Amino acid sequence: MRKATLSSLSVAALAATATHLAAQDYTDARVAIATTETISGYNPYADPVVLMGSVWCQVYGCVTRYDFDAGEFIPYLAESVEAIDELTWKITLPEGLTRHNGEPVLAADIVHSIDYMANNPGSGKAFLVSDWTNVEAIDDLTVHITTQTPDATVPDNLAGVQVTSKALFDELGDDMFRQAPYGAGPYKMVEVSIGQHMIIERDDTHPMTAPNNPAQIMYRLMPEPEQRVTALANGEVQIAQGVPPQLMQRVRDLPNADIATTNSVEMMFLAMSPNTHPWDVLEARQAVVHAINREAIARAILQDQATILHGPVSEGQIGFDPDFTTPMDYDPEKARALLQSVGLEGVEVTLSTPVGRYTADRQIAEAMVPMLEEAGFTVTLDTPEWATLWANVQQGNVPFYYMGRGSMIDPSRALHQYFATGGSPRIGFSDPELDELLAAERSEFDAEERALKMQAAIRRLVEQAPAAFMWQHQMGWGVSKDISFQPRPADRADGWEIFVN
Amino acid sequence: MLLYFIKRLAGAVPVLIVVSGIIFALMQLAPGDAVTMLISDEASEADKARIREAWGLDRPPFIQFLNFLGNALTGDFGMSFRYKMPVIEIVMDRLPATIELAVAATLIAVGVGVPLGVLAAARPGTAWDAIASAFSFAGISMPNFWLGILLILLFAGYFNILPSGGREPWGLGVEHVTGFLIIDSILAGRWDALGAALKHLALPAIVLGTNMTGIITQMTRAQVLDALREDFVMTARSKGVSEARVLWRHAFRNAMVGVVTIIGLEFGTLLSGAMIVETVFAWPGIGSLLITGISSRDFPLIIGLVLVYTGMFIVMNLLIDLFYTLIDPRIRMN
Repeated sequence: MRKATLSSLSVAALAATATHLAAQDYTDARVAIATTETISGYNPYADPVVLMGSVWCQVYGCVTRYDFDAGEFIPYLAESVEAIDELTWKITLPEGLTRHNGEPVLAADIVHSIDYMANNPGSGKAFLVSDWTNVEAIDDLTVHITTQTPDATVPDNLAGVQVTSKALFDELGDDMFRQAPYGAGPYKMVEVSIGQHMIIERDDTHPMTAPNNPAQIMYRLMPEPEQRVTALANGEVQIAQGVPPQLMQRVRDLPNADIATTNSVEMMFLAMSPNTHPWDVLEARQAVVHAINREAIARAILQDQATILHGPVSEGQIGFDPDFTTPMDYDPEKARALLQSVGLEGVEVTLSTPVGRYTADRQIAEAMVPMLEEAGFTVTLDTPEWATLWANVQQGNVPFYYMGRGSMIDPSRALHQYFATGGSPRIGFSDPELDELLAAERSEFDAEERALKMQAAIRRLVEQAPAAFMWQHQMGWGVSKDISFQPRPADRADGWEIFVN
Repeated sequence: MLLYFIKRLAGAVPVLIVVSGIIFALMQLAPGDAVTMLISDEASEADKARIREAWGLDRPPFIQFLNFLGNALTGDFGMSFRYKMPVIEIVMDRLPATIELAVAATLIAVGVGVPLGVLAAARPGTAWDAIASAFSFAGISMPNFWLGILLILLFAGYFNILPSGGREPWGLGVEHVTGFLIIDSILAGRWDALGAALKHLALPAIVLGTNMTGIITQMTRAQVLDALREDFVMTARSKGVSEARVLWRHAFRNAMVGVVTIIGLEFGTLLSGAMIVETVFAWPGIGSLLITGISSRDFPLIIGLVLVYTGMFIVMNLLIDLFYTLIDPRIRMN
């Protein structure tokens, strides 16, 4: 096994830059961001929503973060994160790292944070750390994490670990989150208004902040896209998250704003559960993949704001192979032939889709129905309320559904969850060969080797077709011309990547 | 009168218990629970089971309900699963915003609907009557969310004279004493803040009040028309009383009991409409909170909010009863 070491661009490495920046004038400009996400409260571990998780990482600091330019996980609060043997990861904190109240950040804080995430009922993120068998502070600056099996996804999971203070928790309990939200991130917590907004303030002494990063940022909940775009137009907000395709031209036409797009790293797919007929028949699943004209749907309904998938990942994600083209291309005649070959022409299926959960989800499913019927399926479209559909999907009670899965920069957790034997009942797929390939990528710590193993698993997955991989939505962000902000392939807007012009 | 109020409020207690029981039963019948909706989709079944136990969702539903009821009788509606805070605290924080919006919408509806209805009744079959009818039918039939988005595009987007949503601008700096922003601004002597609060209130209040305006216009017109056909009106006219006095002093006053009744009934419809309007305008009230609660199966929050809605409806109808005695001395509280 080769060692994996993350050590670039740590807070400590940036310390030299801070002295230079501190001498410059810092802007006092404020930036408001219209968001679609929930703002659940003060507890950084309560809500696993991506955008809010990134805000908490800006306040408390997380152990690692993903560097989209380098295409790898790098230390954030830590100085280094490395695998010292197959089952042990070592986190080293830099010396002299302090919180906004001057208190030092210690190894015991990381141990406490992981323990809270794993065991406290207030945590909604136990899944990130529950497979770790032991987390131990070796000294004030060193933590060892022991995993059950070799696990290359540890750096990914550590990107979701906000490091809160053990000392403050011992003193205040859960009230710490509200009364003393002192972190070691580049922004300080100012205000949380539950279900409404969060305000954070730049820490001028932090090495990751630049003079032209906003002095304050308000993340403001605006559920309606029309409202977000209008607020951007009249200057109430400077960034609007989630501009749908039909409103992008309106934003482009604004004199004071423009649109910036990025991949969502959320795979949209049609799941087919082999536990129910006809999805227990490989040819029926493959027929579905051949039946859907993804390019036509992307062009006509998504207005080209989508990246067609040849597997579960696209460029920028671990395991993407630029030379791989899916053999499951659009071919309605082949789809019909496949269905006829197993005597399933006319078989009745029900396609379930959420409504309003994903961009144009209902319209997309409606467009899929005639395509599937052309291939020989008899299709009923089912459009239940999201909570009902989601509960049934989680219990494995929905045989055929259109859905998305985000947080897939490293797709390993998602692929294991949906496609490995026993991963979850959502699809209930089982293929020993795929299981082996997925286990192999998970235990490979060398990035290049792991990518190759992931690609092999993806090829098997596409061939077995427990899901038809559709596209990733291009996420539109409205951005005021008063600032510079290039969104990343994840639903996050970090203060240090926003610059006031 | 005090005894009457006490009796009415005591009578409301079984209503609230039955309502909470119905809501609880409906939540049990719906697929999924708070753990399904709130915990990450990556959570293992073991994680979910642990959280269900911690939140008390592993107990039999009847026991859960009895526990809830027992605590609710002491004013403790439990902790919200989503927000990890006491329900009562969340509700009290957001209730003033909804009351402020509902009162503003009712004032708009009464302020526009009553004069328009009286005008239409005074000139039946004329252009005024036709305009009033067209206006009221448009108000009744227009969906809130559509009108809301239209007004946002027009007044916030095109004319840029009103904000697109929210309750106050960033950094308004008015201390929340009562929670009612208009009152707090006045108490602080902050006229700029009062102006900002009214600007934010304008669009959602107009949208929320539009439907009620239409109904009050129609109801007022019908009631006043009926009153104008009564013998006492003919008597007043034969005595040489001016037409304006006949209309407002005699006909309208007698029509008011019906109008006030419909205002009370429509208040419930208005509260349900507030859920949509608050979502469209990102208004931080209990309506949008209820939508969030339902989508996350947060049953302590849902039941707490439904009880607040029921309580508001009961109190509103009690006030209407009180108002009857003011407008018609023949009505007594007993």
